[in-house]
This record gives sequence, C-alpha cells and structure tokens, in this order.
Amino acid sequence: MALLRAEEETKVREWFAELEHPVELLVAIGPEETPLAGAGDVDFGAEMVRVCAGLAELGERLTCRVEDKPDGFPRFPAVSIRPDGRDAGVRYDGLPWGYELGSLVGAIVEAGRAESSLRPDSLATLAELDRNLALDVFVTPT
Amino acid sequence: MLLAYKLSYASERVTATAIEANEFPQLAQEMQVWAVPRIVVDGEPRWDGAVPEPEFLRRVLAT
Repeated sequence: MALLRAEEETKVREWFAELEHPVELLVAIGPEETPLAGAGDVDFGAEMVRVCAGLAELGERLTCRVEDKPDGFPRFPAVSIRPDGRDAGVRYDGLPWGYELGSLVGAIVEAGRAESSLRPDSLATLAELDRNLALDVFVTPT
Repeated sequence: MLLAYKLSYASERVTATAIEANEFPQLAQEMQVWAVPRIVVDGEPRWDGAVPEPEFLRRVLAT
C-alpha cells in the first residue's frame, strides 16, 4: 500500500526538496509492548521501517537508518528525527499512522530548516530558559 | 505535536516526544490519557488539546 496519495506525495517531495540541512531518521526497533485490542497482526517495527524508508525516498537530503535497541530509546518502535544526524531530542514513539504521519513530515521539514519557524517572541522566551524541559505529547492515529 | 517539536529544535534544553497512546497503553493509563493530544511536561500531565503557540509556550513554562 502506498504511503501517501499521489497529490500528497507531490507536495511532500516539494517540501523535502527545500530542506536546507540533511535530516536523518534513526529508526529504533526492539521489544514491543502489547498494544490495545484491535491492532490485529500488525508488525509495528517492520511497518515503522517501511514508513521511514518510504519517506526517505522522497527527498535527497533525507536518509533513514535502522538500529536494533539503540541507547536512549525507552520504547519500540520509535524514530528520532535528526538535523545533520544530530540528536536534537525529537522522537516519535510508535507508528505515525494516519494524521500523525503529517506530524512526522512536519518534524522533518522543521529539522531541515536553517532558521526556526517559531515566532520571534517565542524564540526570545526560549533563549532565556534556564532549565531542561521534557515534553511528551500523547497522540492517536485518527 | 509540531509545536513541541519546534521548541525542541529551537532549544537544546527542550526534548519533545510524541507517544502513540494505543501502542503504549500502560504508559497512556499512567498519564491518564482520555483525550488527545495530551500534553505532559516533565512527567506531569498538564492539559488536553491544541492551543496557539504563545499559549502553548506559556503553559509549558508555567511552574
């Protein structure tokens, strides 16, 4: 099954062609938690590799690498979205299905920017941050 | 989700993880995920739903 509809793929190719930095998707596979009933026989790890490898085919500056149980990944499967191959602390745990595939694409586009797309006042506030901050956002595929 | 990612790319002090609630039901239960997106800051559930960028930043920085 195709990852994206034809018109979506065209748009994503355009966005990825504008990446100013190389972006690496580091896919981490390993032991998986039992998902909620209804997930069927989905091989989440294999599907994650398929999704990320498929996205990497849409942009010359986007690459995909797969590792088995790498350090720093508490849950599997997961993908770390890395500007210039650097761990910037951005991760997606679980399979980015449906609407959430857009979040992964958005993360790639942001990672590839030379300048943040945040508002200047947000950047000024962030520059004054004097402690570490861990944000977790729980999502579902719909 | 994208706002959290943008914050992380813009600041080395911020990490941002999306967690697919259906695939990690135990953690989702611990974080009392009944609606999405559920925002958790430093391990503490804070609020549900999308908000504009200034409000998102104000909320995540509130102690």
